Amino acid sequence: MTAVLIASNLVKDYPMSGDTVHALRGVSLVVQGAEYLAIAGPSGSGKSTLLQLLGGIDAPSSGTVEIMGTRLDTLSDRELTRLRLIRLGFVFQRFHLLPVLTARENVELPMAEAGMSPAARRARALELLGYVGLAHRAGHRATQLSGGEMQRVAIARALANRPAVLLADEPTGELDAATGEEILDLFTRLNRDGTTVVVVTHDDRLAAQAGRVIHMLDGRIDSEASLQTADQSTRYPAAPR
Amino acid sequence: MSGMSWLRRSLGRHPLRSALAVAGIAVSAAMLLDMVMLSGGIEKSFAQLVLARGFQIRLTPKGTLPFDTEATFPGAGRTIRMLRSEPAVQSAGAVLGTSLFGRARDSLVTLFGYGIQPEAQGLYSLEVGRDLLPDDTAGVLLSRPAARLLRTGVGDTVTLVGRLDPQVVTAQVSRKLAVRGLVRWVYDYKGQPSVGTILPVMQSLAHRAAGDRASLIMVKIRDDRAAGAVAARLSQMLPSLEVSSVADLVKQFKQRLVYFRQLSFILATMSLIVTVLLVATLLTITTNERLGEIATLRAIGLSRATIVRQVFLEGTTLTLIGGALGLTLGLATARYLDGILTSFPGLPAAFSFFVPRRESLSLAGLVLLVSGSLAGLYPAWLAARAPIAATLRAEAT
Repeated sequence: MTAVLIASNLVKDYPMSGDTVHALRGVSLVVQGAEYLAIAGPSGSGKSTLLQLLGGIDAPSSGTVEIMGTRLDTLSDRELTRLRLIRLGFVFQRFHLLPVLTARENVELPMAEAGMSPAARRARALELLGYVGLAHRAGHRATQLSGGEMQRVAIARALANRPAVLLADEPTGELDAATGEEILDLFTRLNRDGTTVVVVTHDDRLAAQAGRVIHMLDGRIDSEASLQTADQSTRYPAAPR
Repeated sequence: MSGMSWLRRSLGRHPLRSALAVAGIAVSAAMLLDMVMLSGGIEKSFAQLVLARGFQIRLTPKGTLPFDTEATFPGAGRTIRMLRSEPAVQSAGAVLGTSLFGRARDSLVTLFGYGIQPEAQGLYSLEVGRDLLPDDTAGVLLSRPAARLLRTGVGDTVTLVGRLDPQVVTAQVSRKLAVRGLVRWVYDYKGQPSVGTILPVMQSLAHRAAGDRASLIMVKIRDDRAAGAVAARLSQMLPSLEVSSVADLVKQFKQRLVYFRQLSFILATMSLIVTVLLVATLLTITTNERLGEIATLRAIGLSRATIVRQVFLEGTTLTLIGGALGLTLGLATARYLDGILTSFPGLPAAFSFFVPRRESLSLAGLVLLVSGSLAGLYPAWLAARAPIAATLRAEAT
């Protein structure tokens, strides 16, 4: 397998009220292609900060992040934005869909930014909404969807430009147990279909789905465990990655 | 999903807020438009009025403007003959303006009288009946208000009474004249009862026959572009008279109304400032509310340019809609205000304060659009510069 994401000795400090908060204290990790990695740990352990650094939406105080051979610290803001658009998919705890747009339009947004034709992105959006089980809700505004549905639309949006890595920050944090299960199943299915998934969670059920779990504590990797290996043979034939 | 669809729905997110902003911009735009029309409109209208019958030069008593005072000058016939002999002059006509009376049954009504030379007149257009002939000593032309006051029409006879002696209250000169036609006097104010006779008749009624006096001579020259040069030459030839080209008159008029221009400039500036503040405030509030959403869009790969364009377009769209409504509102209020202002006594009815010209409409629209768009720059910059990670962290807490 090929490493799609390499983090080396990441340090992140936040100046705060004349003091410095050490959010990350030298974290290194490698994520392989088609891997399902969970980053677990208590609140304040630095897991969300790590995900933001891995996704290039924040810069480390020191250390480097490399995505598919490209070091993020060598990129301009424009290049980094483009990399996030094309290579990465983000799923947030609070979904962050545009409330004024429909489910389909939300999914189309990154594709429109990438310059895809209206017909192609429409077809792709409907395909992805079908994949997450929301084809029938394509024309509904984000505000008309339930929490679980909004998160599934957010996942479809994250997959829009066929990213190399899907990064999710507490994707079940705002959902009830039953709805959270649906999202867990969706992540498992996505990984089986070949998507590399890195998920930050303190949901044990979600962590248990992952092939590898990293536990963080006080800005460091406390422990690491391989739980299972994604069965590559069960990929769906029409995987919409 | 197109950018326009996103834009439309973003503005529709808070419909009442957007509607109020549009209404505010519309009112500001209307005010701006009215002020632009007012600042340039008065002089434009004045120039149109002065040039209404194509006479580009006026000769008046030294130091006066046409009909500005009751001053007259002697030797009207001699001056006219001299002017008509000038190659550059196409025609020239003398005018005597005076107050007089008309007999309506047992009472006298006050009228304004024009003594004119029908073969070269720039003061009226015929509406009903026929014009006076140059030697028509028995005919008179009436304005419609004068005809109403005298209860008379074309073909009837009216009695005009010249200056009264204030001591003995006796008519010094009285003439019975046949009404030849009804005319519209170009420089009459609304409802002004005016009559016109050939110059000698009016001179006789006004006791201005001795010395062949006139108030004004109107000169039409063959080449519009030569008006300034011809006026300068006539001024040298007739040093006892004030010779003014239309440009001179407009210049003097502008000097008299400089406070109008200052007022309109100040009000126009204020309306622009209000527009800028409205758009900037609305977009800043909207942007601050949506910082989390914007940070998410940046996180998933939307460029700063896309975000800036979106916020910028919202400001421009609000300004465009408000400006379009403001244009209609501005034209309506201009018409209403013009109706009030032009009904002031002493102002020619044909005069207009608010002249909707293509240039003024374009200028107001362009200035408004640029201002409204610029007002969106700060919120757009705010949106584009929002730190992604910090904003998302703040949203999560």
